[in-house]
Amino acid sequence: MRSIIFANYIARDTRRLGATIDVEHSHVRFLGNLVLNLWDCGGQDTFMENYFTSQRDNIFRNVEVLIYVFDVESRELEKDMHYYQSCLEAILQNSPDAKVFCLVHKMDLVQEDQRDVIFKEREEDLKRLSRPLACTCFRTSIWDETLYKAWSSIVYQLIPNVQQLETNLRNFAQIIEADEVLLFERATFLVISHYQCKEQRDAHRFEKISNIIKQFKLSCSKLAASFQSMEVRNSNFAAFIDVFTSNTYVMVIMSDPSIPSAATLINIRNARKHFEKLERVDGPKHSLHMRMR
Amino acid sequence: RYIMEDDCRRLLSSEHPGESYSHRGSTDSLDFKVKRPFHVEPRNIVDDDPQERVSAEAAILNSRVHYYSKLTGSSDRLLSPPNHVVPCPDEIYIYSPLGTAFKVTAADYYSKNPSIVTIFAIWNTMMGTSILSIPWALKQAGFTLGILILVFTGLLMLYCCYIVLKSPKAIPYVDTSNWEFPDVCKYYFGKFGQWSSLVFSMVSLIGAMVVYWVLMSNFLYNTGQFIYIICPYPNIDSGGNYTISTSYFSNSGNDTSDISSFGHWWSKTNTTPLYLIVLLLPLLCLRSASFFARFTFLGTVSVVYLLTLVTVKAVRLGFHLDFHWIDTSQFYVPEFRLLFPQLTGVLTLAFFIHNCIITLMKSNRHQENNVRDLSVAYLLVGMTYLYVGVLIFAAFPSPPLSKECIEPNFLDNFPSNDVMVFVARTFLLFQMITVYPLLGYLVRVQMMGQIFGNHYPSFFHVLALNILIVGAGVLMAKFYPNIGSIIRFSGATCGLALVFVFPALVHMISLRRQGLLRWPSALFHSFLILLGMANLLAQFFM
Repeated sequence: MRSIIFANYIARDTRRLGATIDVEHSHVRFLGNLVLNLWDCGGQDTFMENYFTSQRDNIFRNVEVLIYVFDVESRELEKDMHYYQSCLEAILQNSPDAKVFCLVHKMDLVQEDQRDVIFKEREEDLKRLSRPLACTCFRTSIWDETLYKAWSSIVYQLIPNVQQLETNLRNFAQIIEADEVLLFERATFLVISHYQCKEQRDAHRFEKISNIIKQFKLSCSKLAASFQSMEVRNSNFAAFIDVFTSNTYVMVIMSDPSIPSAATLINIRNARKHFEKLERVDGPKHSLHMRMR
Repeated sequence: RYIMEDDCRRLLSSEHPGESYSHRGSTDSLDFKVKRPFHVEPRNIVDDDPQERVSAEAAILNSRVHYYSKLTGSSDRLLSPPNHVVPCPDEIYIYSPLGTAFKVTAADYYSKNPSIVTIFAIWNTMMGTSILSIPWALKQAGFTLGILILVFTGLLMLYCCYIVLKSPKAIPYVDTSNWEFPDVCKYYFGKFGQWSSLVFSMVSLIGAMVVYWVLMSNFLYNTGQFIYIICPYPNIDSGGNYTISTSYFSNSGNDTSDISSFGHWWSKTNTTPLYLIVLLLPLLCLRSASFFARFTFLGTVSVVYLLTLVTVKAVRLGFHLDFHWIDTSQFYVPEFRLLFPQLTGVLTLAFFIHNCIITLMKSNRHQENNVRDLSVAYLLVGMTYLYVGVLIFAAFPSPPLSKECIEPNFLDNFPSNDVMVFVARTFLLFQMITVYPLLGYLVRVQMMGQIFGNHYPSFFHVLALNILIVGAGVLMAKFYPNIGSIIRFSGATCGLALVFVFPALVHMISLRRQGLLRWPSALFHSFLILLGMANLLAQFFM
């Protein structure tokens, strides 16, 4: 899941970091000032017993977000819930203001007519177990749009002044007469907010754009280049993808081909300064992503 | 879920990943094609075009698959879409760069037929030329006994067909989805089973081919008679007992020795069999018989026409039945006769489909209805045979003629100048000419395949086989053109192995292996085997 969201190559041999720790740990900069620590626990009880209990305070201090992933096919529900509760206790002790998200993953393996029922059941259990913390549950699968939507929702809730961003984005779009304007998170190309002036047909267009850009980023990285901006134009439309603020990318779609590219690019550049001011600059925060298999 | 446009051009493919995308991953190659930009499906976002060419779900799945395939090496199946995510084969189109799209037909995905089509296919396959001999065979057994035997034999053969159909499923641990009954015999009886089932299968096929040759010579002769003699001179008595009345049966079935030179060159037993060689031997040597498979509809048409013919004749002639139970009278035959094994022999071939029933039933859409459909098909076949047999027998004008005169080929009982019968003969002649190469092809495939491992080892092998088969046909046509006998002997022989002995043995062995064999069942199936043997022996003695 991590590779798909963060467009990382699936590393084959970077597991087994240490002699006693059979755990994959990495971190990614996320939403600018967030550091996302990813723990892939691989069903190892050793992690929970040894490292977790001894290093607990280090891991769980200063946590902004906890994203806990459950495998829907897991046969050891009791054990999963037990570990989840341990994490929650640690969070309560060290970072009681953290937001908690639970993903019930691999839902494509469940039969279609049973998915809602099973997810509702899990959600109730998790909400009950999480008290007094409030957890938000999503059901996900890499083979449908639920994964992208879940992560987009998580990101949306993590942006501190998202409503303000949306208003400003709408003003910006109306001024430059764009059809649609999207704001992406830089690392994952998850859509933070968007504005559209008319109904668009393709409901999956955000995920598609995200996939396309991430593929392009992968190809660029092979050449040790980094993606900065893109312009796509034909007789019907022009689309601009460019760096916006330190944490975001913007995509502007103009359906009036008579407006020259230079005009739109100047507009974007001017707007950049305005939006930078909106981004709050705080100290580095941690966010934690734990995945049990 | 995946809606594709009617016009199949320019559809995006949802080709199974792993194959095509594996080439795109590496930038190490200097292949410029790999570096082409990602292709987005051609859609006009400004136009309000309501026609979707690719459904939204298909497009997004495509996008995901593209992206995920970039994340891992091409050989890594970690992020390949699992089977329940990929659309099923009949919703996938392969997009050809030439601008068309066509559907994938995976090897194991074949279209299934509804029950009615399966029933019809079985009826069509079973309806052979033995229908022409049913009245004669009914006469041989006696009218009442004949009807009883027909019903009883039909049920018996239905049961044997049912155990043949069941036999591959009882085999554990092996994938029997492509097996036919000879494969089952091979599994239970080894090489012996394989070879003997092949030999007996050949007996039925070659028997059918010999019967075909005799009948074809017969029909060709009669057609020639009609065209050459009857048409120009409808009133001439061309010898024998012909009359002008079109609905009168005649007593002649033998060759009429004409004095005219036409009779010399056009004789049922001497020359017409040979003329057929010129036409059919080359057709037999053709490599593929798929051209002739198109003509199978002719068989159905012929049977339907025969049924109409029989009805018309019966209506015109009326019924002539008189029940003499055991004693013989001048014009009638007893109702119960000792010659009844001849009927059972004929029926064994008439109801024979056991060597291909598994294949025929495989394409039935609702497999749970197989037994029901098979029973319905047998019922229809039995009723057809009964209809023809009873009507011809009953309508045979007994006061002037004795029932004993019914010919093994009942069309022979009609004079050459009967128009309806002439049409029937021509139909059947044409149909047989198209089926004969198909039968030859089946014989060739099975024999050459088993002996040489190759369906067409060389022209000379095939020619030698064909000469043997044709020779057998010609000899029979010349010296012993009694199709009733040919049918009953070949029927009883192949029935012994493929209807009675092998199915019963296979069934008993499989039950025994499962520990389910009970005494009544074992007794009944052993009795079946004895019946089969008795059937064959009786052909020689009766």
